[in-house]
Amino acid sequence: MRTFRFSRFLIYSAACTLLIYILAPFIWLVIMSISSSADLTTKPLQWIPSALDISAYRELLTMGINSRGELFLNGLRNSLKTALMAVTISMLVTIPAAWVFSRFKGKKNIILSLAIFTFMLPPVAYALPLYRMLAKIGWLDKSYAVALVYCTIILPFCVWLIKENIDNIPYELEEAAFIDGAGIFKRITMVVLPLLLPALGTVALLATIMAWDEYFYAMLYTNSKQAITLPVVIANLASGRQSNYSLIAAGGVLASTPPVIIGLLFQRSLVKGMVMGGVKE
Amino acid sequence: MTNPPVRHYSLLIAPMVIIMGAVIGWPLIRTLMLSFTDATMMGLNPISFVGLSNFQKAFSDSGFISALKISLIFAVSVVTIEMMLGTTVALLVNEPFKGRNILRALLILPWAIPTVVNAIMWRLIYNPEYGALNSLLTQMGLIDSYISWLGNPDKALVAIIFADVWKNFSLVALIALASLQSLSSAQMEAAKIDGANAIQRFGYITLPHIIPSLQVALVLRIIEAVKVFDIIYIMTKGGPANKTRSGSIFVYQEAFTNSRMGSGAAFAVIMVSLIVILILFYMRILMKKK
Repeated sequence: MRTFRFSRFLIYSAACTLLIYILAPFIWLVIMSISSSADLTTKPLQWIPSALDISAYRELLTMGINSRGELFLNGLRNSLKTALMAVTISMLVTIPAAWVFSRFKGKKNIILSLAIFTFMLPPVAYALPLYRMLAKIGWLDKSYAVALVYCTIILPFCVWLIKENIDNIPYELEEAAFIDGAGIFKRITMVVLPLLLPALGTVALLATIMAWDEYFYAMLYTNSKQAITLPVVIANLASGRQSNYSLIAAGGVLASTPPVIIGLLFQRSLVKGMVMGGVKE
Repeated sequence: MTNPPVRHYSLLIAPMVIIMGAVIGWPLIRTLMLSFTDATMMGLNPISFVGLSNFQKAFSDSGFISALKISLIFAVSVVTIEMMLGTTVALLVNEPFKGRNILRALLILPWAIPTVVNAIMWRLIYNPEYGALNSLLTQMGLIDSYISWLGNPDKALVAIIFADVWKNFSLVALIALASLQSLSSAQMEAAKIDGANAIQRFGYITLPHIIPSLQVALVLRIIEAVKVFDIIYIMTKGGPANKTRSGSIFVYQEAFTNSRMGSGAAFAVIMVSLIVILILFYMRILMKKK
């Protein structure tokens, strides 16, 4: 009985430690974002803000000419636009490719291995020639160009996961449709696609988070408000000489909100998606 | 299974091949070609072929060697800590206790926070003048004067490792937890009846069950960690005294900042080769076990 109680005590103290470890840094970011500059520049720190100060959020979310708000809101729009384009293109490209990889065993899978191999490559290894290519065709600082580049991050894992899912769809279903005279397009859209919808949803969410998170390519290939993405805007905000801590923190909180909400709402299917590709039962 | 009677299925994979080839394949070949030249960013001088001299220089470049070492130290440290912490946390939240579901739900928070935001958040916490860490440690009486965590060559890399662990242990924990939840309780009960103690049950049932998932997490994390760029670049830009300059940051600086494309390309080619060898070696070990 005694050891039982002691183990209970251990579990609860470990759980509390974990709770603090997970929450403390982020809660502090939120507190910073609603603190006044005076509270954040005293020694020792004013842990609980003396007054609620939402001026940082107001500044970031107000559109004014050449203001930080303009840059931030443009970044937000560009991030959404880029992620949406990247995910849409990736989905359209993934479905037929994954179908081929699933239904034709053999040498076609070499291309799949190659695609997965690209995940190992550090982007710096080809970023420079790519930069010059984009410059040559006038695609620098364009959202669609960044979206296309993001497809190469999204595609390998999308194709892999969707292929695994198509493997589980009995081929007989397709054959039946084929006998009824359905062409290749109809077989994929009418038979395979409806059964894939849940998996496609999961993959699309994961892909959106990946695109939202990306910094390196966006830093290199965008520079003006027409294409610059949120991570770059926030990184620039933070690297500025004049440091307004609550403004930086507010930018961080706002940029985290969409992925955190997606994560909390869809945790189960997201984790399933992450594990699915690699683990075979 | 007979192959579907489609003659032009190559067309169906063409879009994928074109995108991957245009964005990664061709530029990678260009990098390989550049690595044998003395090309610069501006391209003022005519480019000439210099053979293997870029590679010879690379292997005697102490900056490059130390950057590779830093990538390795970073990757080994974060991956080891994240795997151990993540697995421990998964085992913890797999135990029944009050509030367990809230903790499980919150586990995804660090993973969901964008890398850039994570880097900036920790930079604010480590701030030498007004950072939360300095204030906290002073108020607890653990340090006498404020420390410049990211400005000190001995502490900066450790501080970055800590920041990376906070975000990425959660991925390992989530993957391990998903695997633990698929463990059948019937098997556990049977082992209990057969007289297996807790340690035996863990060693013979739990661990073998979660190892395949942990291997997936391990590969994902190793690959991401050896490529590390974003978190370091935002927290320290590779400084102080180049003590946090990883391989990726070194290549970036050589090619983009110093605009020495030829030698930058050679560094990149060497780095890619090392990563590929490392991963293939790891895969080989995995395959052999199976």
